[in-house]
Amino acid sequence: MRKIILQLLYCVLIRLFLRIFVGVKFGKAKFLLEEKQFIIVANHNSHLDTLTVMASLPRQIVHKVRPVAAADHFGKTKLKEKLTNYFINALLIQRKRDKDNPENDPIYKMVKALDEGYSLLLFPEGTRGEPEIQQPLKPGVSYVLMQRPQVKYVPAYMKGMGKAMPKDDNLIVPFTSSLVYGQATLIQSNDSAEILKQIEQDFNQLKG
Amino acid sequence: MEKLLRLDFIHNNDILFVIALIFGILIFASTLFFIVGLIKPHAKLGELKARTNSWWVMASLFIGATIVNHTLAYIAIGLLSFVAFRELYSVLEFRASDRRAIFWAFVAVPIQYYLAYIGWYGAYIIFIPVAMFLFLPLRLVLKGNTEGIIQSMSTLQWVLMLTVFGISHMAYLLSLPEIPGFSAGGRGLLLFLVFLTEINDVMQFTWGKLFGKHKIIPKVSPNKTWEGFIGGVMSTTIFGYFLAFLTPLSTYQVIFVSFALAVSGFVGDIVMSSVKRDIGVKDMGSSIPGHGGILDRIDSLSYTAPVFFHLVYYIAY
Repeated sequence: MRKIILQLLYCVLIRLFLRIFVGVKFGKAKFLLEEKQFIIVANHNSHLDTLTVMASLPRQIVHKVRPVAAADHFGKTKLKEKLTNYFINALLIQRKRDKDNPENDPIYKMVKALDEGYSLLLFPEGTRGEPEIQQPLKPGVSYVLMQRPQVKYVPAYMKGMGKAMPKDDNLIVPFTSSLVYGQATLIQSNDSAEILKQIEQDFNQLKG
Repeated sequence: MEKLLRLDFIHNNDILFVIALIFGILIFASTLFFIVGLIKPHAKLGELKARTNSWWVMASLFIGATIVNHTLAYIAIGLLSFVAFRELYSVLEFRASDRRAIFWAFVAVPIQYYLAYIGWYGAYIIFIPVAMFLFLPLRLVLKGNTEGIIQSMSTLQWVLMLTVFGISHMAYLLSLPEIPGFSAGGRGLLLFLVFLTEINDVMQFTWGKLFGKHKIIPKVSPNKTWEGFIGGVMSTTIFGYFLAFLTPLSTYQVIFVSFALAVSGFVGDIVMSSVKRDIGVKDMGSSIPGHGGILDRIDSLSYTAPVFFHLVYYIAY
């Protein structure tokens, strides 16, 4: 039941809304069907980012992808948390690491979700920041990738979303924007800084 | 069902004839490129084929929306305006503080088309040139960011005029009152306008490709030549002469109107070319294969629609 609701929501309603009203041009995402599991690594400019990536996914796997979101923002109230859990299928994490309580540790939670068979959607810039300006990447994604090196990461780059709906503004103004995917890649090194550099290069390449 | 579908065009031989003509031309073009492709496999026909395929889609959509259902036509043309507006303003530099005003400009789209739909000519004709012209600067001023405000005020109004006010004349053709003895009506006029504008684009392109030598305005558009322009205008005028039965105009009037339409189509084309040159892009987008964005296709319509409408309105209504 939930699977059908998620498919209907993302692959029909939100996709149509984003494409026709906002003006998002979706890049091809069919190739994701060939991967058993992956981590989508996307840049972050807007509230619309999560919806855009989710709506771009092939219908068959949309319920298998969990966007990773900050608990302090989305878990503010019990209701908000429930809704986020049900409709966005989100994995709520706290921003800081907590090595004493693995249950609360963000890295532990993400690795656990991978082991349960889910794919992840991550925004390593952390905060949405100034519209259309890239923030330095946080290392969380590289830690997860290092712990599960057999999982590929897929860079995704969005342009213009920060103009359609920037930070601190709840008004959506249609703006021609786009989402493009890079190739699914295995990490090459065991060094966090190098993995982040690689992802940043992927972003710059997709920026075009 | 009777109300939903206006299938009475089946009994309207004039309109039916033009629809057959449109699809006849498309079949001819597709067959031609197919045969040329067989004879000369190395000829670069990819773009022409993509263009023709897109023409099939556009022609079917246009005929489907405008001829079959009256209300749907206003919505379809309104949507065209909306997408064109979004496409154009997105490539122009607007400030972050302009967002609220831009939002109101978007709101103006359905209002303008609603006014056309109910046929309230007085309000329709002043809504964007007067009401929005006065209101949008106010919304910008209230935001308080004066740096670069002149540019935002003028650009926003220009985009709105070109993509919404201009294009909405297509819709108002459908709201014109009936003239006794003129059976094609607003749908005939709309068909005449769109068909002639697009045939004008194609003819200018074809004449230019075949015989083009002397450039008209090389700094703006190096592909535009006197040969293409004159050949295009002449062919369009001849087409207009033969399609006169779609309009309530006399022979001399229809020749004059077709001529004016052909020239204004050319003007719309080079105006948009100059804008693209200024911002440094070749096409406005990639939504129509072979053509570029929506705006690359309707740039001439944004000029021909108001020119054609007001000429016909003055002469016949």
